[in-house]
Amino acid sequence: MEVRTFEGGAHIPHYKSYTESKAITVMEAPDEVIIPMVQHGGAPCAPLVKSGDKVEVGQKVGESEEYVSAPVHASVGGIVKAVEPRPYYDGSEVESVVIETDQNNIEFKPQVERNPEEMDVEELKEAIKEAGLVGMGGAAFPTFVNINQSQPIDTLLVNGAECEPFLTCDHRQMAEQTQQLVTGARIIMRTIGASKCYIGIEVNKPDAIEAVKKTIGNDNSIEVVPLAVKYPQGFKSHLIKAITGRNVPRGARSAELGCIVRNVGTTIAAYEAVVHGKPLIERVVTVSGPKVSEPGNYLIKIGTPIGYALQKCGVNLDQLDNHKVVVGGPMTGLAQDNLEVPLIKSNTGLLVLPPEMIEKESRYEDCVRCGECVSKCPIWLYPNMISTYAEAMMLEEAKEWNIEDCIECGICAFSCVANRPIVELIQRAKIEIKKLERKKA
Amino acid sequence: MKKPALIKTAPPHLKSGKKIPTAMRDVFIALLPVTIVAIYFFGQNALVNIVAALVAAAVAEIVFRKLLSKPVTLHDFSALLTGLLVALVFPPTTAWWTVSIATILGVGLVKELMGGLGWNRFNPALGGYIIIFFIAQWLPFLNQAQLIPVEGVTQATPLAMLNHGGMEMPALSEVIVGIPVGNVAGAMAEVSPLAVLVGAAYLLIRKHIDWHIPVAIIATVFVLTLIAGENPLYHIFTGGIMLGAFFMATDWVTSPITPKGKLIFGVAIGVLIVLFRLLLPPTEGVAFSILIMNAFVPYIEKATRRPSFSDPLPESSAQRAAAKS
Repeated sequence: MEVRTFEGGAHIPHYKSYTESKAITVMEAPDEVIIPMVQHGGAPCAPLVKSGDKVEVGQKVGESEEYVSAPVHASVGGIVKAVEPRPYYDGSEVESVVIETDQNNIEFKPQVERNPEEMDVEELKEAIKEAGLVGMGGAAFPTFVNINQSQPIDTLLVNGAECEPFLTCDHRQMAEQTQQLVTGARIIMRTIGASKCYIGIEVNKPDAIEAVKKTIGNDNSIEVVPLAVKYPQGFKSHLIKAITGRNVPRGARSAELGCIVRNVGTTIAAYEAVVHGKPLIERVVTVSGPKVSEPGNYLIKIGTPIGYALQKCGVNLDQLDNHKVVVGGPMTGLAQDNLEVPLIKSNTGLLVLPPEMIEKESRYEDCVRCGECVSKCPIWLYPNMISTYAEAMMLEEAKEWNIEDCIECGICAFSCVANRPIVELIQRAKIEIKKLERKKA
Repeated sequence: MKKPALIKTAPPHLKSGKKIPTAMRDVFIALLPVTIVAIYFFGQNALVNIVAALVAAAVAEIVFRKLLSKPVTLHDFSALLTGLLVALVFPPTTAWWTVSIATILGVGLVKELMGGLGWNRFNPALGGYIIIFFIAQWLPFLNQAQLIPVEGVTQATPLAMLNHGGMEMPALSEVIVGIPVGNVAGAMAEVSPLAVLVGAAYLLIRKHIDWHIPVAIIATVFVLTLIAGENPLYHIFTGGIMLGAFFMATDWVTSPITPKGKLIFGVAIGVLIVLFRLLLPPTEGVAFSILIMNAFVPYIEKATRRPSFSDPLPESSAQRAAAKS
């Protein structure tokens, strides 16, 4: 078995054993869901409902005229309680449709059963657009925009690397929803006109690799590519490089390189959208942490508050003092201080990190040039130099050392012996650089 | 419902756990074998010098950091490490005050006044040592021997013998395992290359250092002395080469950061060491070579800078073919 990878990066502890063998289970719907009007990269939706309206499961509740956007749907049936700004996982507040759940009306009942083979490309694209699909690996870019390309694309890459510690939602979906995954891949291949599809999976998921291989059978257009277990293998640029060998130059969109990358969850959602006409109203989320008594991979309604989800997994919310609650993976996810925040389409994980796993020391030292970050940086940058310049706000120098290429994977800060918050320093400097450039323009 | 006091800091939320104090402690542990052998052979002299250097290092660190109104960072062990290294590079006959002054110069001048750990361009221990070498001509008290006479045989170091020629060399195995050098300019750490290597192995296993710099230095010295018609094994196992290659030249702050840069740095040090040994009076060659190359580190970094992943070199035809298949 030829295992592919990229140069740089590093092996980091997995913490996947808590949930990697836990089958996907349905989490009960909460009594209230919060549907933010932005769950994607792009223009926010305008609400289509108002307080007091009755909504059905899967009903569209927000939409935008803009091209780069994705509609949002009610994840449960019930009554709209409010349309108002609500806390969002990035710390801001976002206009949201709040729905009081009718517990007898939470199941999505497919109105159609379509055969994708009999649909033309425009119909496939329309189904994906209407379902509000976005990248479910974290980037949340609208899938319709991604696949609606005018230039020829020869290759679809399905991202099953799942390189972040703790997360196992893609793993379980590959193992359990293999048929949907492979059919979904065929659907996306048709929409972009690709003749080849590679499904990249890190070798720490042998059951997923086996299952997908078996389902593909002797279809030569789809191939499983085993990937080395290395962070950040699942970042788009590195997946492209590892699987196709193609370089990913600065500013190049993947379509220009002749390929499109889609996450496992998105690919399965494409199947659901096309075959069953099902909008993206629920997703598999890994809820995990060393002290979570019922960790697992849960099918969760979009808009479920994180506090509710944690309680359902046996977490006592009163005992979370000095813990960290992270939405996403532990390397790039965001820490939360408000448990009312709802889970959205791109949230892969919900983690509880106990105090002993959290870095308590906020003080950091000057760089001692140990070289850990330089040897591990997957972009082959010099985080030592960049972070020192960023700290001093020497923006020209930081740019000269390619600060703008940084993908903020976090492996430098993870490894830093001087406890330097390298990613934070870089993010701050990047914001200033953007401000300056806007001034110039 | 009471709102729990959740911790909210920026990602990443995991840490490798390796920190500066752990790393410096590793170097301390790695220096234990040679320190113990030195104390075994030189007894009280060695012990007095080591203790004096450690105390001087701590005092210098506290005083200079306070003067510069910076938090005292004794807990990171870096100053103490400089102290121990200074004690080990001086001959055991050196007076304790000389070792102490060298340590204060190393920690205070070469490190703290240059900006502190991370900013110093020169190896602090070697810097302190070499300053003494220069100023001792005018300050004779620095050259006074330790009051306690050295125990053991007084004889020339193997390196000195190599350079004088005509003397009967001790067996190579003896040189490697350890023989007490006398009061001719031999460093305490020169007493047993084997003990230094045991510590070096620990540093390599703990991944505190990589092989590039030491291997480049030792291989260069070996090859060049072989070409020059000397006995290369005696050359690599005598003088400060082992300590220099594994403990001094590999200092994080004062050596290049990429493998390519490390190799260039190591080869250059090796060439300088051989030039010093063959062409100049045979003292301080290793220390001078490392310090000279310390000065060139920023230029080596610039010359060996690798392009960003986002700045790919034009694909070779072989790569294009591979990408197509």
